[in-house]
Amino acid sequence: MTSWAVDSAFAVFAVAAVVTGFLVFRTDSMVRASFWLLASFVNVGLILVLLNARFLGFSVVLMMAGEMSVMAIFMVMLMMNPAGLNPMTMVHQHRASVAAGVTAFLALAGVGIVVDFPDDPARQDPAQVTAELGVEELGDSMLVFQTAGAALLATMIGGIAVTSRRGRYGTADEGSVPPPLDPPDAESAL
Amino acid sequence: MTLDALLVVAAALVGIGVYGALSQQSFVMIMMGIELIINGALLAAVALWAYSSGGSPKGQMLGVVILTVMAVEAALGFAVMTNVYRVRKADITEKTKRLRG
Amino acid sequence: MTALLFAGVAVGAALSAGVLTAAVFDAAVGATVARTAGGPRGVLLTPLRRAAVVAVQRRTTTERPDARAWALAPALLLGLAAVMLTVVPVAPGVAVADVPHGVVLFGAAAATVLIPVFLQGWSPNSAFPLLGGYRMFAQGLSSMIPFALVLIAAALPAESLAIGDIVASQQGLWNVVRTPLGLPVYLATAPALAFWQPFSGPAGSDLAGGVELEASGPHLLAWRCAQYGVLVGMSAVGAAVFLGGWAGPALPGPVWVVLKTLFLVFVLVVARHLVARVRMERFVVGAWVVLLPAALADVFITGWWLL
Repeated sequence: MTSWAVDSAFAVFAVAAVVTGFLVFRTDSMVRASFWLLASFVNVGLILVLLNARFLGFSVVLMMAGEMSVMAIFMVMLMMNPAGLNPMTMVHQHRASVAAGVTAFLALAGVGIVVDFPDDPARQDPAQVTAELGVEELGDSMLVFQTAGAALLATMIGGIAVTSRRGRYGTADEGSVPPPLDPPDAESAL
Repeated sequence: MTLDALLVVAAALVGIGVYGALSQQSFVMIMMGIELIINGALLAAVALWAYSSGGSPKGQMLGVVILTVMAVEAALGFAVMTNVYRVRKADITEKTKRLRG
Repeated sequence: MTALLFAGVAVGAALSAGVLTAAVFDAAVGATVARTAGGPRGVLLTPLRRAAVVAVQRRTTTERPDARAWALAPALLLGLAAVMLTVVPVAPGVAVADVPHGVVLFGAAAATVLIPVFLQGWSPNSAFPLLGGYRMFAQGLSSMIPFALVLIAAALPAESLAIGDIVASQQGLWNVVRTPLGLPVYLATAPALAFWQPFSGPAGSDLAGGVELEASGPHLLAWRCAQYGVLVGMSAVGAAVFLGGWAGPALPGPVWVVLKTLFLVFVLVVARHLVARVRMERFVVGAWVVLLPAALADVFITGWWLL
């Protein structure tokens, strides 16, 4: 793609990502909030595609479609006003948060602009980038890959363990107690 | 599409995420703020890979790890949120302010 | 610029032709199964008649719908169907967008199908469509992973994520033989993602139409066309990835692509009319307990075959 087209596409995606990210906290409808967040992620994914990290970009879109679906389910489950039919503002420590957000932005943007990063642009074509990523993942960075896999497995098990309603001694809702140390006999009240 | 512009955009996403994570009362909205922060971090990491690392695949590996972190944080965050609701019947932070014996 | 225009026209034409053909198959198989006479002219006109009836329906609306999201839903679904068709190669090196990561792009488009279906269920502010939307989330999230895994297993012999390369690697042996569990799992998860009977929980008749309940008029027509479009897109990529794409003895490449796509569409349409709708609990349990290990086994078998 020509540099002009890439730059204008980047400008559009960047502005869209930031604006939709901000709209997440401005909208009253909760389902719209999760889909504004999805829009922000999709725009960042498209910027990644423009940067020739295409596998990462499309993977971001794929993952976030599923993740925002889960987020929408939780929104409707837990928020008292999921459709935004009434306007409401549920914020606390608003001024402090705005100050913290602006400070974070200025600090990080300042570091990004002031620091002289080495100028070593990646020049491969996208297919070669993905091929290199694949070889790297299963070669030099195999330990990192395996650790990520183990972490995801631990997450799955942990998530189910934390939210499961059935334990070893019965369902969690019933105030289940573990069996006593000595076996129950006729006089035992347990 | 210079490195500076990309880092400014990433910083903006992080800033908005920090604002959201600190200001929102509902747990789900706090999670959204954290997701935005990680989003910004991912963009910054891949931007630095594209402009300062000569295309070394380890930069992309960092991107994959950040994506994994996103998934882990979302899953465990929702699990903890569900459990807090079951124990305390609280879906916003204000409801967990009181100590209950 | 002209290339973009040409690509758009090509995808639009392919989508329209595919949707029409799928609708004709649907009418034909439906008439055969129901044993109603129709004759070939009746079968060809039935989809057009149904479309006309739906198009001039009175537009109903609900109380306080989310109008913008509701209008977005069929447009987004149609756009995703178009994206699915852009990665299908019709001849060696000829595709609208044979990007080096066609499989991931297709997977992203298929995963995003959840969003417009949920929006169609959420936006009318009505109970049954919302239930349909939730069913779509359960169904889609459960079937996404086996769907992606069998596509990756089919990409293994080609050592590339580009669908053109996957087709080229099947010149000697089609993937349906080389990755044996691939096509069955694909045919179980692709209609689930397209909420096509026998996985039509989201739009099922036990929910009075589910997500399609409150839609009417041209909106409903666009929605149904988009659903057919997604079905055709999934069949086209399935034909390219599992049945060898343009490979075939006598006819030219593009004709084989069309024939194989229509074969998969026909299989799915027959499944629609002959298989009862699967209950959501059964489907979710089946997807996680049967389809996911089958997809993993598919990856292992393909890898072992290659070693």
